[in-house]
Amino acid sequence: MQAELLLRASNLSYAAAKRVILDRISFELRRAQITTIIGPNGAGKSTLTNIVTGLINNFDGEIERAPGLRIGYLPQKVYVNTLMPLSVLRLLRLTHNASDREIEHALAQTGVTYLLQRQVRSLSEGELKRVLLARTTLGQPDLIVLDEPTAGVDVSGEIRMYELIGELRTELQCAVLLVSHDLHLVMSKTDQVLCLNQHLCCSGLPESVSQHPEYLALFGQQAADSIAIYAHHHDHEHDVGGDHTGHRHD
Amino acid sequence: MMLAAIIRATGMTEWLDDFLVRSVIAGLIMVAIAAPMGCLMVWQRLAFLSDTLGHAAVMGVGLGLLLEVTPVFGVLAVALVIVFSLNRVNSFNSALSETTLAIISHTGLAGGIILVGLLPAQTVNLEAILFGDLLATTSADLTRLLITTVVLLLLLLHHWRSFVAVSVSREIAQAEGIEVRKVQLLMYIMIALLVAVMMKVMGVLLIAAMLVIPTTSARLFSRSPEQMVAVSALYGLGALAGGISSSFHFDWQTGPAIVVSATLLLLVTLAITRIFRSHLE
Repeated sequence: MQAELLLRASNLSYAAAKRVILDRISFELRRAQITTIIGPNGAGKSTLTNIVTGLINNFDGEIERAPGLRIGYLPQKVYVNTLMPLSVLRLLRLTHNASDREIEHALAQTGVTYLLQRQVRSLSEGELKRVLLARTTLGQPDLIVLDEPTAGVDVSGEIRMYELIGELRTELQCAVLLVSHDLHLVMSKTDQVLCLNQHLCCSGLPESVSQHPEYLALFGQQAADSIAIYAHHHDHEHDVGGDHTGHRHD
Repeated sequence: MMLAAIIRATGMTEWLDDFLVRSVIAGLIMVAIAAPMGCLMVWQRLAFLSDTLGHAAVMGVGLGLLLEVTPVFGVLAVALVIVFSLNRVNSFNSALSETTLAIISHTGLAGGIILVGLLPAQTVNLEAILFGDLLATTSADLTRLLITTVVLLLLLLHHWRSFVAVSVSREIAQAEGIEVRKVQLLMYIMIALLVAVMMKVMGVLLIAAMLVIPTTSARLFSRSPEQMVAVSALYGLGALAGGISSSFHFDWQTGPAIVVSATLLLLVTLAITRIFRSHLE
């Protein structure tokens, strides 16, 4: 049985200033599945997430959302309004009434509980990203959209963040739509890859996408090889009972 | 005209006949609405829009007088035309273009002054339009100001959460189901209403000052959005008190006197926070 369908996009096309940015993209997002969008710069990755979140609504094609679909969103570039005095606690309660316990739990997951009383304008970029990632988990989201959540985060932080995204999916049973430039790091957690370059070059399981000629043309053999290595680890983990402790990677 | 009935019934008529009482009440009402609206406009970087609408309001005054309707309705009509056009051309992500606003602002002012100049000299007091004339507040002005303020305050209370969320991040607010474009249009319409009624008190050239200066003082030590609104209102009260009393005692023009008082309060606050901080270090 397939997981509950949360969002179906059919033949999405979008053009800005007569330049085609997206060309007939179709895909489905299902509960508790992680979908990763990869593609070169200018491939239309952020445009696609903006259509999913409702930021762009003058596109062609169709989007069907499950009724009452709740979305948590972490934009790629977070503009901090330094003109408004705002504590982290208040930021987390901006649109939903999360309890103290829920807020503490969410911040603990991204490791920033100590920021609770700080003013948002005093946070560094990395701190703000973690706070906003925690924020996406509040209010029982059905779908979390993360646009390059690891941009500006160091490599060890990156691996930890992808592990966290996997944990969130399991805990919240929500769908995750992730934009990433490094498929090899998200590999083991991803259920569906959308390889985008204006049109949908290929899509499906990570292993099959990584062998697809269009993927190889875009990212080269080296990327495919590194994915093969991670894929091996992935298989190995399953052999020993799917124990995702995260220590076995090295 | 329930308000008029209440005023008569409570024997406030005579009291309201005093021009000073009327102007103090008008000033208090203005402070009450300028604080929350000013904060929202500063957060969303819309302060310049109020300036534009204010300048273009001169055109509205001229049109109103030419068509022989109350000038405030001419102002409101012009302000609404501008905000609806801006809402159409403004894309989701970009802030309003300063160039566009400057062109509208100065064309409105220039066109308005030509229009007003065409009218017989005694029909218009250009100085009162530009700098306000709080001490000449009539009961009709007061009623309009009060009704508009109540409407604006109710809208603010009802939509406050959305307004704050949109101010923090339009993208996140939209993704979480807030209809950002509708909120934005509502905000624009509210600013148009605000400008139309504040014009009487502050004059078209000084409206933005009353929205920005007390807010800036409040921002220096506020810890939450609501606190900033409350503290802005206190600074607004201080500026009003300083403005009206200096106007009364030294015969200064009220609008400019309010603005100068607000800036003096800002400078004092800046100095105090400086000293306070250097003591902490």
